[in-house]
Amino acid sequence: MMRKLTLAAAALAGAIAGPLGGSSAAAAERTLRIGVSDALTGGASVYGLPQANAIRMAADEINAAGGVKVGGDSYMLDVIAHDDKGNPTEATNAVRKLIDFDEVKYILGFCCSGAASAVASFIADEDAVMLVGNAAERSITARGIPNLVRTRPPADYTGAAAGAFVGKRGHKRVAVLGALDVGFYALYVDAFEKELNKAGGQTIARESFGLKDRDMTPQLTKIREMNPDALLVVGYVEPAAFIYRQSVELGMDIPRYGFTSGSEEQFLRVATSEQMEGVWDLRPTELTLQSATETGLACHRNYTERYGMPPSPSSPYAHDNVHALKHAIEAAGTVDDTRAVARALRELAPPSEAVMQYLPVDGKMFDRNGQAYTANGAFQWRGGKWVYVEELPSDAKAYSEFLASLR
Amino acid sequence: MIELVQQILNGLAIGGVYVLVALGLTTVFGILGIAHFAHGSVSMFGGCLTCFLAVSAGLPLLAAIAAAMAVGFVLGVAIELLAYRPVRGASHINAFIVALGLTMMVEGLNLQLFGHEQVVILTGLSRVFEIGGVTIPELRLYVILAAAALIASMTLFVERTRTGQAIRAVAENREAAILMGVNVQAIPLIVFGISTTLGVCAGVMVGSLFAIAPGIGEWLVVKGFAVLILGGLGSIPGAVIGGMVLGVTEALAAGFVSSAYKDLIAFAVMIAVLLMRPQGLMGKA
Amino acid sequence: MQFRPAYLALAAAAVGLALLPQIIVAKYYLHLSILALIWTIAAQGQNLIQGHAGYVSIVQAGFMGIGAYGTTLLGMHFALPVWLTMLLAPFVTALFALAAGYPSLRVKGRCFAIVTLAYNLVIFIVLTNWTSLTHGEAGITGIPKPGGPDGWFDFRDRATFNCLTLILAGAMTGLAWLIARSRIGQTLRAIRQNEDLVGAIGIPAWKYKLFAFVAAAAFAGLAGAVYAHYQSFINPEVFGLAQSLDAILAVIVGGSGAIAGPFIGAFFVVFLPEYLRFADAFRLIIYGLALILATIFMPRGIVGVASDLWARSRRGRE
Repeated sequence: MMRKLTLAAAALAGAIAGPLGGSSAAAAERTLRIGVSDALTGGASVYGLPQANAIRMAADEINAAGGVKVGGDSYMLDVIAHDDKGNPTEATNAVRKLIDFDEVKYILGFCCSGAASAVASFIADEDAVMLVGNAAERSITARGIPNLVRTRPPADYTGAAAGAFVGKRGHKRVAVLGALDVGFYALYVDAFEKELNKAGGQTIARESFGLKDRDMTPQLTKIREMNPDALLVVGYVEPAAFIYRQSVELGMDIPRYGFTSGSEEQFLRVATSEQMEGVWDLRPTELTLQSATETGLACHRNYTERYGMPPSPSSPYAHDNVHALKHAIEAAGTVDDTRAVARALRELAPPSEAVMQYLPVDGKMFDRNGQAYTANGAFQWRGGKWVYVEELPSDAKAYSEFLASLR
Repeated sequence: MIELVQQILNGLAIGGVYVLVALGLTTVFGILGIAHFAHGSVSMFGGCLTCFLAVSAGLPLLAAIAAAMAVGFVLGVAIELLAYRPVRGASHINAFIVALGLTMMVEGLNLQLFGHEQVVILTGLSRVFEIGGVTIPELRLYVILAAAALIASMTLFVERTRTGQAIRAVAENREAAILMGVNVQAIPLIVFGISTTLGVCAGVMVGSLFAIAPGIGEWLVVKGFAVLILGGLGSIPGAVIGGMVLGVTEALAAGFVSSAYKDLIAFAVMIAVLLMRPQGLMGKA
Repeated sequence: MQFRPAYLALAAAAVGLALLPQIIVAKYYLHLSILALIWTIAAQGQNLIQGHAGYVSIVQAGFMGIGAYGTTLLGMHFALPVWLTMLLAPFVTALFALAAGYPSLRVKGRCFAIVTLAYNLVIFIVLTNWTSLTHGEAGITGIPKPGGPDGWFDFRDRATFNCLTLILAGAMTGLAWLIARSRIGQTLRAIRQNEDLVGAIGIPAWKYKLFAFVAAAAFAGLAGAVYAHYQSFINPEVFGLAQSLDAILAVIVGGSGAIAGPFIGAFFVVFLPEYLRFADAFRLIIYGLALILATIFMPRGIVGVASDLWARSRRGRE
């Protein structure tokens, strides 16, 4: 009860002090506002809302553990979230409002590549730090912006590992059906194809579908006529689940591989477990119950309890950003000097609260590009759920060098 | 050959959905001259509501669909009465803006009531029939049959009942209809009620065949308008032919030309038809 | 013309906007003001076809996209200076509009809105899928701003850019005013009243409609080009259907046909959704409801309401 009161008082003080210039309150317990710009409505809200939820949850975890400690003060995190609909203009507006009006210096969220790229294009000139979650477009970290970090690895890092895996399993003619109008999915397929070619295989078809398409039978019928050895499905969970269902309905009996990162609930909403049986998912070891550590399981439990539904597998990217930010602020010893905090982020080892399993480069969570890397894994649908089968060998350090060379 | 037949079959199911959306749009457009842009969002609402009634309220699926259709009828009447009637005398642009406002409101309500995850209506129909290498999922067959039944009953209603004749009279000549004693205040209400009910059916079909997700409403209404142009404004046979043509064109375009540009090809066909037959495939010159 | 005080209001607004950087410190408002001025250019164009000729066109954002990608790609591939590509953008857009409008405008009637909607979707599909040219959904970053640290003006400074957009918006408003006052404007309004009559007295109505459509596109092309160089980032998402609907809203909410209408409407569509951020999840619902109520209770837009009030107060005094 007492703590709730203090919290409320702190929030109130923050609310009053905020518009008047922020950090002049003299109490030992202070409020640090962090901002979220994410798709809370519209088509991309499927990814944006869980991210915003995960950020709120992480902030409460930190507050319950005594807040962010700088000098003698401890700062309670106060999350202020704006909807950007996944749209670049709206994201620019939301971030401008966060920086200029809400006087926020730390901005998280960003499930969509377009919105993240638009903000990334001006963030270097601002007195702020941007922590990107789920947006997977490679170019966001390829420019090495000093005050930007991202937890989700670029798609081609995972695609290369996936191509080697499928090649090793001896498939020679692989048909691809993917959301290829989305840049990072196309990158995944490019990297996949390169590794598959090395193993003597080739991609015989590259069919595409849009974000809103749910009827993929025309593409699948075309692929069926080509008699491929295997099918690779690359895209968001919602359409991908329909591809798996419709491929069975069309009587296609070939191994199916995917890059979708969907949870069991998401697939079972669309397809039966029999229709999913044997499907592979080749992706970062995101939050699924099979691959999760103790921290991951706890996160899954807390989120489910709090929001009445399980977290989407990719939402912890944003969760981990909050914890990384906390440690970086404490290491830098300042909440005001964003340059110092941005530098501290790049010196950080993966924090113990992190849900994803990061592969540190030279002992650091974020490399010099500001990019983090997680392990990649091969998962297979067996008897109603995803089973973690094996790790996909992936070289974070080599990819980090490659990413820096794109500059 | 098998591929061609399969592709045409693939296109028929989605074509049936387009027909139902377009039927609602075309009666509203033909009689009231309103480009009812919110029709797609309302269809989405109907699909989500059905799913909610079946899953959370525990109704049997058919009862849930019937209940959602009834709600749809009332919603349609309310939309006409509260939103469109006040701007009836003004320019048709004003009605269009009202339609946009309605779209936003319904989209916002959908998000509040049913959440952001895609909604799929589970039917439990997962058998697949196979005839000579061509596969037809059971569910698709039922959707095509249901669409056909709805189209037939709509046609009968308009052709054979007194209300239907009154609707046609207003569509053809409003002033003459008034002189003949048709109640022109009631007709728009009935038209909106029926077209929204049809929209709800389309939403249920999309929700059971595919899924209802944020943004699907806009996709549905755009396709519905494309059918309108293809078939001819205000023409019921036009909506039927146009919907089927659009569905099959998309499937063939994706299967034989390019899946990335299938929508573009469908629109190109639409614009080509418009140039050669400005009144649409079935419209009167 | 019919409403003199509009010019006074416009002049006052222009002075106010030029002084804006001095009045407010928050870059946030300055940023929104620049966006609203860009939308003013697009909405002045939309007003020609929608307000004067009475044809709803749902492709204004698509044309902004052609202008934005036009100026960006010309700059990237031919190393042309920013000023030149910005100047070329409206002409490039006009060419596309000519090709699109020639067939579709010969068809009379209400199909036009839906055909233009299809054009917007086609533009969106091409921008998204022609990745070798447009970089697809990932978009193009690092689009240069005009001027530079060594030039006369440094447009990376927001206040300077605000002045640039203000001048452009003013010039385009002036151009729209000239068109509206000319014989072309009169003919367009006659088409809105009764298109058959216009045809009957031997005026080829479709030529005038085509002119309005192409001119509207050129306005949009310029707006898109300014947007691209201001934001330094573009992707297809910015030029979708929802933004075309905003252009229509700007005209009708501000007041169709009036010269100040698009200007007021543009500020409305940029600022109101931002203001409604406090409503959070109910933002869409409130915005939609506001639109419906506004259309029912003030069908002639904000300018219409203002001129009614003005007329009433004048009558009161006399």
